[in-house]
Amino acid sequence: MHVELLIILTLTAAATFVVVVASVGLVIHKAVNARVLRHRQRLYAHYSEILTRILLAELPELPPGTRSASQFKQYEQLLTPLKEQLAQLPRSRRAFHRRALRQAMVDFARDLTGETATRLVYFFYALDFVDEQIALVRDRRWWIRAQAARDLGLLRTRRALAALTAALEDPHPDVREQAMKSIIMMAGVDSLRTIFRLMHSLSTWTAVELSVVVMQYKDQAVPCLAEGLSAPDESVVLFCIEMLAEIGFVSGVEPLRALAENYPNVSVRAKAIEALGRLGDERAEGLLLHAAAGTNVRLRLKAMEALGRMGVPRSVPVLKRRLLNGAIPEKLVAARALAANGPDGLRVLSEVAAAHPEPVRAVCEQAIEEAEG
Amino acid sequence: MLETLQIIFSLLLETYIIGTILFFVCVNLTYTILLVLSLREILRYMRHNSFSDYRTLVQTELAPPISVLAPAYNEEPTVVESVRSLLKLNYGEYEVIVINDGSRDNTLGRLVTEFQLYLSKQVYIPSIPAKPVRGIYRSRLPAYRNLIVIDKVNGGKADALNAGINAARHEFICAIDADSILEEDALQKVVKPFLEDSRVVASGGIIRIANGCEIVNGRVVSVGLSRKMLPLFQVVEYFRAFLSGRMAWQSVNGLLIISGAFGMFRRQAVVDAGGYRTDTVGEDMELIVRIHRAKRELHEPYRVVFVPDPVCWTEAPESLKILGRQRNRWHRGLLDVFKFHGTMLLNEKYGVVGLAAMPYFFFIELLGPVFEFVGYLATAIMFAMGRLQVDVAVLFFIVSLFYGVMFSVGGVLLEEISFRRYPNPKHLALLLAMGVIENFGYRQLTAWWRIRAFVDYFRGRGDWGRMQRTGFGTAKTA
Repeated sequence: MHVELLIILTLTAAATFVVVVASVGLVIHKAVNARVLRHRQRLYAHYSEILTRILLAELPELPPGTRSASQFKQYEQLLTPLKEQLAQLPRSRRAFHRRALRQAMVDFARDLTGETATRLVYFFYALDFVDEQIALVRDRRWWIRAQAARDLGLLRTRRALAALTAALEDPHPDVREQAMKSIIMMAGVDSLRTIFRLMHSLSTWTAVELSVVVMQYKDQAVPCLAEGLSAPDESVVLFCIEMLAEIGFVSGVEPLRALAENYPNVSVRAKAIEALGRLGDERAEGLLLHAAAGTNVRLRLKAMEALGRMGVPRSVPVLKRRLLNGAIPEKLVAARALAANGPDGLRVLSEVAAAHPEPVRAVCEQAIEEAEG
Repeated sequence: MLETLQIIFSLLLETYIIGTILFFVCVNLTYTILLVLSLREILRYMRHNSFSDYRTLVQTELAPPISVLAPAYNEEPTVVESVRSLLKLNYGEYEVIVINDGSRDNTLGRLVTEFQLYLSKQVYIPSIPAKPVRGIYRSRLPAYRNLIVIDKVNGGKADALNAGINAARHEFICAIDADSILEEDALQKVVKPFLEDSRVVASGGIIRIANGCEIVNGRVVSVGLSRKMLPLFQVVEYFRAFLSGRMAWQSVNGLLIISGAFGMFRRQAVVDAGGYRTDTVGEDMELIVRIHRAKRELHEPYRVVFVPDPVCWTEAPESLKILGRQRNRWHRGLLDVFKFHGTMLLNEKYGVVGLAAMPYFFFIELLGPVFEFVGYLATAIMFAMGRLQVDVAVLFFIVSLFYGVMFSVGGVLLEEISFRRYPNPKHLALLLAMGVIENFGYRQLTAWWRIRAFVDYFRGRGDWGRMQRTGFGTAKTA
């Protein structure tokens, strides 16, 4: 028994020793880390200052038609002191400094446009950061790959396009997302075509992130989104429908109608119906009325919501029928859609409320209250 | 005859000692595995999170709307401030549903006056059975259009939540305690797992102790530690439970509890499961176990996740009496879970839940205090009979204390590695010290409260036990 206990005691003592050392180490680390952080901040400030100076430095005007090589020569002259400064550092310190410099450049890239941005991109190439980052997009650790993809996008380094396109098929979703955003930043809205072709199983989160990027282009994105409606992946199709509705461009109506009528998946058809309601184009009225009277509950609900949004007077009889015959959630949607039809709809609701018992009456009263409130 | 008895006694003693050692090894091995899993999972989460821009959720129409459910019972002094704080959350579209669970004070009156509420004609569809609803109120003020107050007959917290679920209009529901404080971005963070993975049915955030923090207008503006020992012990305990326990269990989809103080659910999953059970004091855990059970029986893919940084701040009990009641209630809740779902224990049909999570909760969380207590008792008996090998007993005691310290400190270390909400190195040192000190007295005390819960449970006690809160004020920090 003693032997077993001694073994346990030894193991415990060892484990506790590790934890105690780790605890003490962590407290020390916290203090040391604060110093390292201060040092890093100092370096960051130092390089930010240098970058600001060389990015804003006035350069002699080049005659029109001058080759870009001449311009790069000017940039190189600006960069030479910084390169020399870095070269003089011992290897280990150089890596630390380069990290601070790279971070400063990436942060600057978020806010720069025009010639200054071009200058920064040149610096990024000239300091060998681009090749370093491209290599990192293939790193075995996913977070390093994702970070590299993000940084390349911020710096708009076009040499990285091939690596980023390949990263669209990365096994990790974060890498795919960062690559996708970077590609759009670099190649503009047309790159959406490639993205829609290669991306698959978009999560709602990815769609949320992509939607913010797409909304920056709005109308310009419509042709790509319309093309995306025939993408092989359903999640891409759903995203394109959502964005077409969000942008509100009427050229989306016809392809959406086709989807709402013919797409094999009900989720996609329901989404297309919802989008048609949001677009509010009268060409969709017939289809919506048909779906509102159809047999599929999901499509019916979406169609009634869409009719409510559009306020279609012709829909009153269909909506009234659903109000009287549907289940309670359906009654509620129908009542709301009727209320959205203005005085006519409200009059129908009042009549139905007066003539029918619960739950129809309650549903009508709620819809009237919501419309008046 | 006497010799035979002595042989039997010796055999029993030997068996008991071997059993104790085996149990001890199993427990500590389990904790070690959980600690390692948590560390791995937290690092993964931190890396993953660094690529998330939560602002996009506020910018896009794609963010799903959420119904926040806050049951309130006799909360007259604090309810207005709590609701105001809920209405200021940073999220796109959401509604706040306050359920006045038949309060005997003027909780409803305060809400009606403060938010200019009127009796609405909103239809109430009881998808889940709940006590009758007396009225649904909405605000006349445009700024509070997303506020709904349900006034219902008293039925307890679970019943109030069920009524809230019935009234909720959105696909996602977030159940919180009306007296807790959600951080502004908490909804964005807790909803994210649902958006990333359509299999997620429930997601819980971390609960942190607000005692000692500076709170202004229902917001934690400065994180600090209480000057009292009891809340400090609870801070360490919460780290151990949330960062070390839940993080590990969620990594293998074996998370059995999402705190009632802050959890988000896919509404349909809760409705399908039948809502919260009203005949238990551990309704939060019971619901999660029931969801696991239903999904596994139907062979439906699903996930229950824990997100370690959407923070809900809560006031921890500062007196032994109230803390004792709370722990007693939690343990009775755990007993209920095994009463209702005992068939899942060690049942391979339920996968990791039946074979790992349930046994962990049964043998370690539920029976652990009993084994601990029996251990102390056996030591005393053996000592009285002169059969105790004092050197062995002392060694064993030291070993168990060492392990206790290791896991407490481990929880604090996980916090330090990851979120570092306590910026002052003094705070870290204090918490590490508490991780050591809590093993001398506090741990034994909590074990005793949990033992008492068995007695209360089998005597048929089913109440919540009165909780007394001092309310959030501007507290002094340590």
